[in-house]
Amino acid sequence: MGVNTKAINRRIKSVVNTKKITKAMELVSASKMRKAVAAVLASRPYAQMAWSLAGRLERRGEEAHPLTAKRPEVKRTLAFLLTSDRGLCGGFNAQVLRVASDFVKSRPEGSVDFASIGRRAEAWVRRRKLPLKASFEGLMAGAAPPATKVRPLARLAKDGFLKTDYDEVVVIYTDFVSSILQKPRVKPLLPLRRDADLGEVQGHRQEIAPNAKMAGEYAFEPDPGSVLDALLPRIAEAQLYQAVLESLASEHSARMLAMKNATDAAADMIDDLRLTFNQGRQAAITQEIAEISAGRAALANR
Amino acid sequence: MKLLDFELTTPERTVLRTKVRQVSVPTTEGEITVLSDHLPIVAPILAGEMRVVSEDGIESLIAVSGGFVTVHPGSRLEILADTAERAEELDLKAIEEAHARAEAVLKEKIDDEERQAEATASLARELARLKVVRKHRSKQGFQRLP
Repeated sequence: MGVNTKAINRRIKSVVNTKKITKAMELVSASKMRKAVAAVLASRPYAQMAWSLAGRLERRGEEAHPLTAKRPEVKRTLAFLLTSDRGLCGGFNAQVLRVASDFVKSRPEGSVDFASIGRRAEAWVRRRKLPLKASFEGLMAGAAPPATKVRPLARLAKDGFLKTDYDEVVVIYTDFVSSILQKPRVKPLLPLRRDADLGEVQGHRQEIAPNAKMAGEYAFEPDPGSVLDALLPRIAEAQLYQAVLESLASEHSARMLAMKNATDAAADMIDDLRLTFNQGRQAAITQEIAEISAGRAALANR
Repeated sequence: MKLLDFELTTPERTVLRTKVRQVSVPTTEGEITVLSDHLPIVAPILAGEMRVVSEDGIESLIAVSGGFVTVHPGSRLEILADTAERAEELDLKAIEEAHARAEAVLKEKIDDEERQAEATASLARELARLKVVRKHRSKQGFQRLP
């Protein structure tokens, strides 16, 4: 027999099983992506309202709050790096890590400290022998972590910035544009800047304008300064939380796409193997017939 | 009775957006109760319980943990809370947790069954092997006899 049909059959079975697994992972990722996207959308009103409240406070002629004041010279930077915990998600991690690498190059050597979120980020920072200040776990699991889980991160950023350990804090994450397009970005977190808001900035700016006229009417208890003191860290927190959710949504959609490609490739491979198997089977039958008829012919000639 | 537009938002989601009669919130300066046409005010809120009286006069409790209350002109009330859970939600949560635990227990049992099935299967496999080996031996024995 020319082709080993038994081996091919075994191959087909194994590829069929693999295809089942990749299909299942595709479906799981799709549902997780939907949840993460819903969480991103649900988290936007808070950020918008917090910003518009901050805007009202700033218009009262207060001098710049320490958290919003831009430092004249940026000596040290803290970068939050968001990747996934697990692989099998196409170029998702590679893309965001490339952006991180470019960012490190854009700053003076050794001036960027990292706080990693996700195992891949931690491994990358270690491999590059860059300073790793903190490593957060368990955030990039599931579809949407509770906002309280981001609080320690925001605290780290705020304390480091106010103690002037760092002159800026950035977040390197993946922006979820659509289910087929995700863009890695470096977003400045501190000093807080309105332009640096995530996504829907344009929409909410127009929304604030009418409120601005009424700025003078509000009474602040106990006083505007302490309201701002409490509000600004929460804005930073909300922005970090949104970055985490956007990265999660991106991760799941990247994995979904990667698994879809794998499923398609498995289907192609199965078709290919079936064809080879059938050819081999047919060849074997043809050969058998040839042998039988040759044998018969030999007997008839006697 | 004049109503308030009330919106309660956490970093995770908008918890409530509805018309209400009145809302009482614990602030750093003491509890305030907001009715319609309240003066515009901004104040930090403390962790505690918030009481909301709905359009049809039903009072419900919401557990909050810090945040801000903003009363806008025109009877609009915005609350930015770090976390907010309605009393009913808390109950539901407890129920859900109970469900989750029950499921986990069931799963464990299934796992056990699976393990049992696996063990049985492997035992059967080993027994079959043993049988084959014995047969083979006895055959060899026969072959050697003559």
